[in-house]
Parts: sequence; C-alpha cells; structure tokens
Amino acid sequence: MKEWMKTKEFMILMIVIAVFLIISIGNPTAFLTTGNIFDIVKSNLVLAIAAMGMLPIILTGGIDVSVGALMGVASVMSAYFMIHVSDNIALGFLAGALSGILFGAVNGAFIAFMKMPPIVATLGTLSIYQGLMNFITNGNWITNIPAGFVEFGKTYLFDLVPVQFIFLIVMVALTWWLLKYTYWGRGVFAIGGNIISAERIGFNVKRLQFMLYMFIGFVSGIAGVVRTSIFGQVDPKVFTGFELKVIGAVVVGGASTSGGYGSVLGTLLGVVLMGLLENGMILLKIPTFWQKIFIGSVILFAVTADILRAKRAEAKRIKVDVA
Amino acid sequence: MENEYFLRVRNVSKTFPSVKALDNVSFSVKTGEVHALIGENGAGKSTLIKILAGVYEPDPGAHIEIEGEVIGKLNPITSVRHGISIIFQDFSLFANLTVAENIAISSSLQQGSTLVDWKNMRQIARKAIDYLGVDIPLDSRLGNLSIAKQQLVAIARSLASNAKMIIMDEPTSALSKGEVDILFKIIRNLQADGISVVFVSHKLEELFEVCETFTILRDGKYIGDYPAREMDNSKLISLMVGRSVSYDRLEAKAIGETILEVQNLTKAGNFKDISFQLHRGEILGITGLVGSGRTEMVHALFGLNKPDNGTILLNGSPVDFATPSDAVAAGIAFVPENRALEGLVLRQNMRDNITLAVLDQLTNSLKLIDQKRLLNEAEKWIKEINVRPAVPDMPAGQFSGGNAQRIVIGKWLATHPKILIIDEPTNGIDVGAKAEIHRLMRQLADDGMAIIMISSELPEVLAISDRVLVMRRGRINGEFMGSQINSESIMNKAFLADNKVG
Repeated sequence: MKEWMKTKEFMILMIVIAVFLIISIGNPTAFLTTGNIFDIVKSNLVLAIAAMGMLPIILTGGIDVSVGALMGVASVMSAYFMIHVSDNIALGFLAGALSGILFGAVNGAFIAFMKMPPIVATLGTLSIYQGLMNFITNGNWITNIPAGFVEFGKTYLFDLVPVQFIFLIVMVALTWWLLKYTYWGRGVFAIGGNIISAERIGFNVKRLQFMLYMFIGFVSGIAGVVRTSIFGQVDPKVFTGFELKVIGAVVVGGASTSGGYGSVLGTLLGVVLMGLLENGMILLKIPTFWQKIFIGSVILFAVTADILRAKRAEAKRIKVDVA
Repeated sequence: MENEYFLRVRNVSKTFPSVKALDNVSFSVKTGEVHALIGENGAGKSTLIKILAGVYEPDPGAHIEIEGEVIGKLNPITSVRHGISIIFQDFSLFANLTVAENIAISSSLQQGSTLVDWKNMRQIARKAIDYLGVDIPLDSRLGNLSIAKQQLVAIARSLASNAKMIIMDEPTSALSKGEVDILFKIIRNLQADGISVVFVSHKLEELFEVCETFTILRDGKYIGDYPAREMDNSKLISLMVGRSVSYDRLEAKAIGETILEVQNLTKAGNFKDISFQLHRGEILGITGLVGSGRTEMVHALFGLNKPDNGTILLNGSPVDFATPSDAVAAGIAFVPENRALEGLVLRQNMRDNITLAVLDQLTNSLKLIDQKRLLNEAEKWIKEINVRPAVPDMPAGQFSGGNAQRIVIGKWLATHPKILIIDEPTNGIDVGAKAEIHRLMRQLADDGMAIIMISSELPEVLAISDRVLVMRRGRINGEFMGSQINSESIMNKAFLADNKVG
C-alpha cells in the first residue's frame, strides 16, 4: 500500500465516496441535480468556515463549545453596525470579525491565563453570549439588512461561483497557511503532541492558547457574516446547537480529540461527510429523530476509533527494559 | 584560546520545602570530555541537571561558569544559548511531527522567526543526521520510529541547536546492545569534535566503556571526581552507598505460613519470570532502581496491570484479578507511591477518607450511610494508627506527610486486609516520622499481616525487611534474608548483572 493510502484522510475520502454512491443509488433523481449539490455546498459552507477555527483548537487538545454563540453574536453585531453605522460591506465584515475576536479573547483569557478547562469556560460564555444576543435582538429576526449587502450576497463570480465560496477558499487557505508556515501553527501541533516538551523548547504556550481562541472568534465572526450574506437576514436562534456540527465535522474529519493529529483536508472531508449524511437522510426521507441519533452515533464512532487506536499504542509501549 | 573546562560549577545547593536535594555540590566538565554523573536514586542527579537546564533555580551563592564566563542566572533559553543541551529520559520529542521538524524546530525557534522555512529546516535536519551517519528518513513521523532511532533524533536535535555539552539522562535504558554500540561510536565522534557529553546512568559496565571521569553524588552531597582508570565496579558502589542515615532494625516476631505465591509472572515490556513467596507476619522488601519494574510488578498483584503469563496463588488457590476491587475483595490493600494524588481525597476530612473504602459496610437499614457508625469506625482507626492531631473533621490535605501516610494506611486497614502492599511508604516524610511509620508497619506485621514494601531507600529496606528481593531490568536479580541483608550486596544486585562485581 502506498503511504498516502494509509492516511486517515484517505479513509475518510473512501467513506465520503461510499456515502455519495449509496445516496445516488437511493434517490438519484433528487440527489444528483446541480441544484441539490449547490444546496449542499451553500448550506455547509458556513460550517466549513467555522470548522477552520475549531481545527487548531482541537489540535491542541482543547475545545470551544461557544462557537455557535460566537457566530450568532458576531452576526448580530455586524448587522446592527451595517444598519445603524455604515452600510459599507467591508466594514460590515470587519465589525463581525472584530466582535468575534473580542468575545473569543474572553474565552482565551479564562483558558490560557486562568487555566480554566476549555469545556467549562466556553460552556459558561456560550450561555452569556446567547443571553446577550437575545437581549439585543429581543429574540427577533433582523430583516432590515441594507440592500447593498443583500445584493452582494447574491453575487456570482463568472455567473457560476457564489461569492461566499471565495470566503471559504480564503479562510481555508489562511488556516492551512497558518498551521503549516507559521511557528504559531507548528506550536499548535507541538502542544498537541507534548505540551511539556513544547514549553521546554521555548514555545510561549499561554500566549499561543490565547491566540487560538481569538482565532476561532475571528473565523466565527466571518462565518456569521457570510451566513447573513446568504440569507439576507439574521435569525438569532439558528446558531443554537451549531457547535455540535462544527466539533462533529472536525472530529469525523480525523482530528484526534486528545490533540496532535488532524488536518485542514481531513476537516473539509469531515464537513462534506456530515453535509452528505444530512442531505442524504432528508432525501431518503428518514425521520428527523433518526437523523439526530445517526449523526450522534457517527461522531461517537469516530472518537471511539481514535481512542482505541491510542490505547493500542499505549499497550505496546515498553515501560521497563527487561533483561 | 580554548578553555580546558567547558563547565565549572561550585557551591550549588537546592532546598525544597521538605528536603535539601543538593548540598554544596561541585561539578566540572572538560571540553570534549565524556563524563559520568552517578549516584543512587534520590542522590540529586536530576536536580543538578535541571539546574543546568535552567528549569530549577539554585539556592543563592551558587557559582556557575561556562567557557570561562560566569553566569548569573540560567533559564531554559539561555541554557541552550550557552550550548547546554539535555536529552531527558523521555526525549521531549513530538511523536506527531516529522523527524526533520523534531530536529530543527528548537533551533529555528531560538532564532526567533515567525515563519517556517521548511527548506531550511530540512537542511538543518539533514546536516545533523548526516553528521551522525545514520539512516533515518526525514519525513517519517517520529512516533513510527523505534526507541533507538528516536534517541538518535534527540541527539540530532541537540547538535542542530549547536550544543557544546550534551547531557544524556539514562540514554541506553531502552536500547539493545547493538544500538548502544552505535550510540557510543557517535559519542566518540562528538568528543573528537570537542563536544562534551555527560552521561547520567545506572549501567556501570557501559559507563566504563566511554567515560573518562566519574562524579559521584550521595544524599545530595558531592562525594568526588574519580578518573575511570582508577575505578572499578565495587569501588564505585561503595562510594555511592557510604551511609549517613540509618534506622533501628526492627526484627519480625514470628513468620507464619505462606499466604501469597507468585510463579513465573511475566509481562512483555514490564517484568519477566517473577517468582516469590510471601508469608504471614513478614515484611518483604522489594528494591531496585527506579525503572526496574518494581511498581509494574506489584500493580499486577493488585489487578492494575494484567500479566501475560504466570500464576498468582492466594492461600494456595490461583487468582486472576481483573480490577483492583477484585483484589480488595480478596483481602489485598495497596498504598500507592503518590499518596497525595492517588491515596487521599485532600479536601475531604480525615473521617471521610478513612472510611472511604468501607462505606458499603457502614449503612443503615435504608442502605444510606449511617453517619454515627461512620464516625465510630473512623475514630477506631484514628486511635489504632495514632494520627496527630486526632481530629476527624480536619481536611486530609492539612496533615503533615507522616500523618497523611497514616491516614492512607488507616483507610486500607479498615478493609481488614491480609496483605498490604505499600509503595515507597516514607517518600517525602521527615526522618523522625519515617521511623514511626516503620514501627507501625512492623506492628501490623506482628499482628499477622503480610506486607510487601517497595522502597528505593536502602536504610529503610535494611531496617524493616525480613526478606529483600532486588529487581533489575524487570527480573528478580537477588534475594536476601536476615543477616545476609546489607547495603553492598543489595546495591551490587541492583546495579550489576549477576556475578560481575569488580
């Protein structure tokens, strides 16, 4: 077997292809249409962008369950900014990104400097950000987004590629570049591999962690505004439970929850797989509760496979050099 | 002008809250010298290394001089800048990264760059690997390599960060003979290029192959520097064990019938062919160097580490513990080495800690915990084991080391065990309290309990063991009884393969 065929990414690709074939056979008329494929892409584009923020965090062994709330609060902030301050499109994105960074920094401060477990810190802020969002919007949809922005969201490049796709490509490329070509990114892998050694060779672990949670804030902000551009309005409730999809996609995409292993390509495949499963189950008319049970099982299966692999490796580890 | 000495260290002391780990130690290494740093477990070698690595700060008054320059203060970064590189026993490598990145990442980080130059990284790694003259693919993931190759990667990393002195902590502990030979060849090459190598090792035979000078530490004190050609195994051992501390020997009253018998117990990568008997009323001391498989072996007796092969007989019938609770039900109690982490719930009070293992027996008719019975039970054991202060409501974390250990022992006594396994019973306890724990253990044995004590402290082993098993590299390398028990013979068995003394 070739080296690349042994990778997790290749295995996930095979599963993606298998799922694709099963759905195609199950409901060829509805699934294999340009419209449906476009729908899948459009509805999972935001998920893919958000997953780019989650990947580095999971690579260090951390987690951010406030990601959905971060997206929500950032899209609300940017919508209000565009309605009340300036309808400039670039400034609208900037407002979303900055509020994401700000709220992400709060997470990061608790985790990096207070040494709070990431799940607890982000669970707390999840509730706070959701409450804040409901307070600002009264739970109502924001529908009076400036027309210029709504129009922008309907733009296609070369009459084919939705403008949102450009944002996806930029965010994927940025994440890939950061992870591969900066010492911040290599530090992410080093921390996930062995946090004590990472400190010993001179990584500033605290600062790095802090920046991780600001990064996911930034990415979530962009993802939130991208979502606004797709739908032309903001529904503050739509982000509830979105963290399950984001974390699920990264984990199903082969990232190890104990840190150290995972890739941008794998995460993208994870998003595709989750998107296909969701769409396929709808087309195959599987009831919603079964869909939920199935998605949850897929996530648990992926994590179980990862833990079993780690256990096998540990059992083989030599503890004493037996004479 | 080259300096004769790369490193000169004088008056180094290090005081921890409960213990003085280093007391006025000197340590000098010549340029291009291969130097051994030896001593028993706890002699202070690790503390000294960590001071040189800049991880620990020495007590005020220490004099550290590198290449003739007096160094005020070392931290992990400046230590590397001065050319000191330490290969810890765990290598501190990253299993999830490639060989090239593992080798080059620290030197690239040292240069303070933000962006990764992969081409430059590979060149750095290539150069280091070529210098070592070994064949390791740069793009392999480190975790896929053998331990020996990972070790070579660790050395390559030291070279890549321009090390002038490489300190290796137990470098050969996981290597085969052939791999050790390769390592030694590399060390001689390093030496020829003026790089000093400090070996911290327990394998005396190997040290004689490469080292020119031995520095011996004992109980945190500097014993001396000795040229290799004037030394032999027995001289080194007697220098390492010369004693300052000793405890009163406490003899057994009467040793009864066999209660536990272990036959040919084996687990790959842990221990091999372990056979012994344990009797009622006896304290069986198990000693040996850290990493000789002692803890792994007793874990197997308590259902914490499943052996591959062999038999455990309890009162003559074979047992197979799947979990620790099976072992507890069979009358075995285990007091782990790290009592703060594994033995006590520090924030709960003494009463709750002592009764923790027997809660199911302290219930009322509704199967709820009966607080009155719980207090009675706790007070009974507090009296029995003599904890001071005898305040049942005091949080466990507030007791002194010796009394905390009594609480852990009390917790297990409440289960009425027939066999007590106790790992490093007096670790981190002051000397007076140690002797009291010894008396408590002896009293328990006199009352009919069988005790297995793992200990690295030779004086302790000498004081209360009725029989001593010495483990070395996963096997029982020696067994001593009564008057045969003495420090020299135990150390010989701990450090050396059979019959290689002198």
